[in-house]
Amino acid sequence: MSFGNLKARNKKPVPPKLMITSMMDMFTIILIFLLFQFSEKPETIHMLEDIELPQSTAKMDHTETIKLVLTQKGLHINNDLIAGVRKGKVIGLDPQNPKASVLYQLLEKEYAKTVQKSDEKQPKEHILLLCDKRHSFKTINDIVKTAALAGYPNFQFGVLKE
Amino acid sequence: MSILRKGRRNFEEDTELNMIPIMNIFLVIIPFLLTSVSFFHIKAISTSVPVMADSTQVSAVPEKTKMTVIVEMLKGEMRLSATAEELDMEKLAQFEQVIKLQTTGVYPLMKLNEYLQSVKRTYPASDTLILIPDEAVRYDSIIQAMDAARNFNERPLFPNVVLSGSLG
Repeated sequence: MSFGNLKARNKKPVPPKLMITSMMDMFTIILIFLLFQFSEKPETIHMLEDIELPQSTAKMDHTETIKLVLTQKGLHINNDLIAGVRKGKVIGLDPQNPKASVLYQLLEKEYAKTVQKSDEKQPKEHILLLCDKRHSFKTINDIVKTAALAGYPNFQFGVLKE
Repeated sequence: MSILRKGRRNFEEDTELNMIPIMNIFLVIIPFLLTSVSFFHIKAISTSVPVMADSTQVSAVPEKTKMTVIVEMLKGEMRLSATAEELDMEKLAQFEQVIKLQTTGVYPLMKLNEYLQSVKRTYPASDTLILIPDEAVRYDSIIQAMDAARNFNERPLFPNVVLSGSLG
């Protein structure tokens, strides 16, 4: 046994040092990226699973208003399901008699509330419509016409930024 | 002399920053941001449906001729026409076009864009387009047509798109 080996054995074990610098770099990049993503959006929208929004070059941000969501299975108003959709047709919405539909009645109530709050006779309110891209114009037209009849002729179509 | 040297040596010694607290903060912030971040950015396209307007809203003598373009998205073709109160039928007939679809369901949006650019060059005050899709046209195609109508290379073409159902 040599003296050299004995010396080595008596050495205290050195705790291993973690290389944190590279990890810090990575975290800093992730943090900056996430902070940018966070500041860009004006508000969060709760998205339903069975909806595929179309892509668009639009740059305008949507504003807080009544939200209509038309998925493959149903029509929602402010996150509440009000009617089912079967074969591209909103159940309970007759295009010949739209005033009998739940959609019209709910929107009319909302419009009456807005008129009470507002000083104007015809407040320029709009509806944010989030619609599945696979729907045909017929389905959308029935909803849009009913909403216009209830006092909402202006719409914002929600789309995904390209 | 020796004191000075000792002081300089102390000054030159590497000091290690304690990164652990910073790492702890990062480990808290990053999961929080990851849960609240959105990877899909929702934007909006403003549109309206035709409504009855008061006669007072329309000015009697318009300063510039405003052309309203009508785009009909039909099953096999795209019909383009224009209307303006100040122009006669002969002039308006020059703006009538029918573009046949090469593939079913795929609308020639480049041709539509070129047409709109030519209208805009002739009547720069024009800003309204009435889009009349067929009942079977997909919502995705309508949005694409609206995109083609609104602007070209960041320049606005017809920003006021009115969505209407076909009559009859």
